Amino acid sequence: MTAPALRLTSVCKSFGRSSILKEVDLPVAVGERHAIIGPNGAGKSTLFNLVSARFPVSSGRIELKGEDITGLLPLEINRRGLSRSFQITNIFPNLTVFDNLRCSLLWALGYRYSFWHRLDGLRDARERAEQVLEQIGLSRRRSTPAGVLSYAEQRALEIGITIAGGADVILLDEPTSGMSRSESDEAVALIRRVTEGKTLVMVEHDMSVVFGLADRISVLVYGRILASGTPAEIRQNAAVQEAYLGTSFHHA
Amino acid sequence: MTAIALLDRRRLLGLLMVALVILIAPLALSKGFFLSLLCRIGIMTIFALSYNMLLGQTGLLSFGHAVYFGLGAFATLHVLNGMAGASVHLPVTLLPLLGGAAGLLFGVVFGYVTTRRAGTTFAMISLGIGEMVAASSLMFPAFFGGEGGISGNRVTGKGWFGINYGTPLQMYYLIAFWAVLCAAAIFALSQTPLGRLANAVRDNPERVQFIGYNPQWIRYLMVVLAGFFAGVAGGLSGLQYEIVTAEALSDYTSGIVILMAFVGGIGSFYGPVIGAVLVTVLQVAVAGVTPAWPLYFGLFFLLIVLYAPGGIAGILVEHRAVWRAGLLRTLAPAYLLAALPAAMLASGIIAMVEMAYALVNGPQRGTTQLQILFLPLDGATVASWTFPLAMVGLGLFLLSRAWRSVAQQWQRVNAALQARGTLRASAAVPSEVR
Repeated sequence: MTAPALRLTSVCKSFGRSSILKEVDLPVAVGERHAIIGPNGAGKSTLFNLVSARFPVSSGRIELKGEDITGLLPLEINRRGLSRSFQITNIFPNLTVFDNLRCSLLWALGYRYSFWHRLDGLRDARERAEQVLEQIGLSRRRSTPAGVLSYAEQRALEIGITIAGGADVILLDEPTSGMSRSESDEAVALIRRVTEGKTLVMVEHDMSVVFGLADRISVLVYGRILASGTPAEIRQNAAVQEAYLGTSFHHA
Repeated sequence: MTAIALLDRRRLLGLLMVALVILIAPLALSKGFFLSLLCRIGIMTIFALSYNMLLGQTGLLSFGHAVYFGLGAFATLHVLNGMAGASVHLPVTLLPLLGGAAGLLFGVVFGYVTTRRAGTTFAMISLGIGEMVAASSLMFPAFFGGEGGISGNRVTGKGWFGINYGTPLQMYYLIAFWAVLCAAAIFALSQTPLGRLANAVRDNPERVQFIGYNPQWIRYLMVVLAGFFAGVAGGLSGLQYEIVTAEALSDYTSGIVILMAFVGGIGSFYGPVIGAVLVTVLQVAVAGVTPAWPLYFGLFFLLIVLYAPGGIAGILVEHRAVWRAGLLRTLAPAYLLAALPAAMLASGIIAMVEMAYALVNGPQRGTTQLQILFLPLDGATVASWTFPLAMVGLGLFLLSRAWRSVAQQWQRVNAALQARGTLRASAAVPSEVR
């Protein structure tokens, strides 16, 4: 049996005296699309920040493809094949769209900190960046500085930067937040396209996105995993229904 | 494809023109004064370009870049002096590389400390290291030569084909050679993976960590490489003046290079070159006319920071876009209308500054009178002050009026540009400086 793509074992996180995550256990199988849902302040984003090492864990253990990654630096985790996006758009505003993508895949292609290669002469980097550009539908905006893109375009670029390096475990933090219905439908199609054959973990508020996309769903409430299962199981779960009482959950 | 080829041909033509100017400039105006001005411009061009590798490209505001310039100069002169009477001789042509090596070495040492953090912390640490090195220049007279600095003689022999840098003209071509080479190298560096990632670090250091890179390491490499080019500039300055004093690594030198880069424009590659030329010319030309030149220069710098944060290059880039769209005619009348009150305001300020200087320096000069163009003024009389004061007042009033119409015309131009889809991109200016 292969190791899960990602496994969290009794992960805790507290800021000062307030404990945000309590003993979180979460396995994510290879190739699975896993959504994490929960009310505001449940600790979903914190969970992502721990997995990607933006913050250190207080205790517990995180494994990526069977290897312990607890305590590593964000860049080391990225080099091992886990890449994340951000809830608040986090791009390189003065670089062109194309260069945003090209920078994001240079390490994966082995160019490291090279100052002896001419960037425009690197065919593999250019072709891969063009390919991602095509995938996220921003070919027309190739030479536009990323900072002047529209919001939806920046969200698409955010995903592009995340997947460009070819990581096989992708973490998306509220990829459709702040989008209109049609924009969010496009985003879902985009996410489906670019995570083909990869492991996806996403935090999402929009229930139609969650139930349309996820193979498995985990519900995080007050820093604990309340339930974990297939969309159908989650829908039937009494505890979840109670936690979500009176919210849009029923309509999904 | 043809558009790109055309653009490249135009760029190539521009580069050829620059090369031609560099080659014939000293022949056309071979006065000693002019030649030494050109030499200083060449040295400062390398220095300013090296500085912009940090500020413009990596977003690092360094207050101590003179450290690498000065130490490069000292190292070069020590080697030059050591060669006199020694059996091993290095060609003087290559000595600037030695200055570069010294700059690089100190970049490796100091950069390790400064680049741990970015932003304000980096700026403060760079200031601290600059002060530390400047202070130690007086503590270790054996290496730095104390107050008098150290001097040397760049003519070490007959040289190849009589090129021994005995004449100022030969020295000019040595500086020109290294300036062109360094400018090309710094440009090439900006087009490499490291160069582009430095831009990424400038824009958003946090995200860089999540695409597999260490922003600290990128900053470090850029400081080390910039140290090399600053060292080359320092080495050339050592050879040119055959003397180097503590001023070369002082906060004054660190400050002047910031002004050059910023006035020229840190958002484009050639901005610092414009800044190096302009500031050097102002330093030499205006300083010869009036003792108040630092004040004028300060005012000029203020104007740039407040009204054109992209520097002169930024102004050029903006207007080139307007010119290409054929919309320059929309702006021209408003500009002309604003030019007159601007000139009034400027001349009023100049008259008052000069009168104040004449008044303060009166006891030494023996008179408080002065003449600006054909206008006799006397700082000691009230009548002389009324006219410039009126000019400043009226100039300010009319300029604020005229400026409104300039702003209006710009709004029109921007709307037209936007409609054509050529949206103006904001100049790449790091947020700390913006």
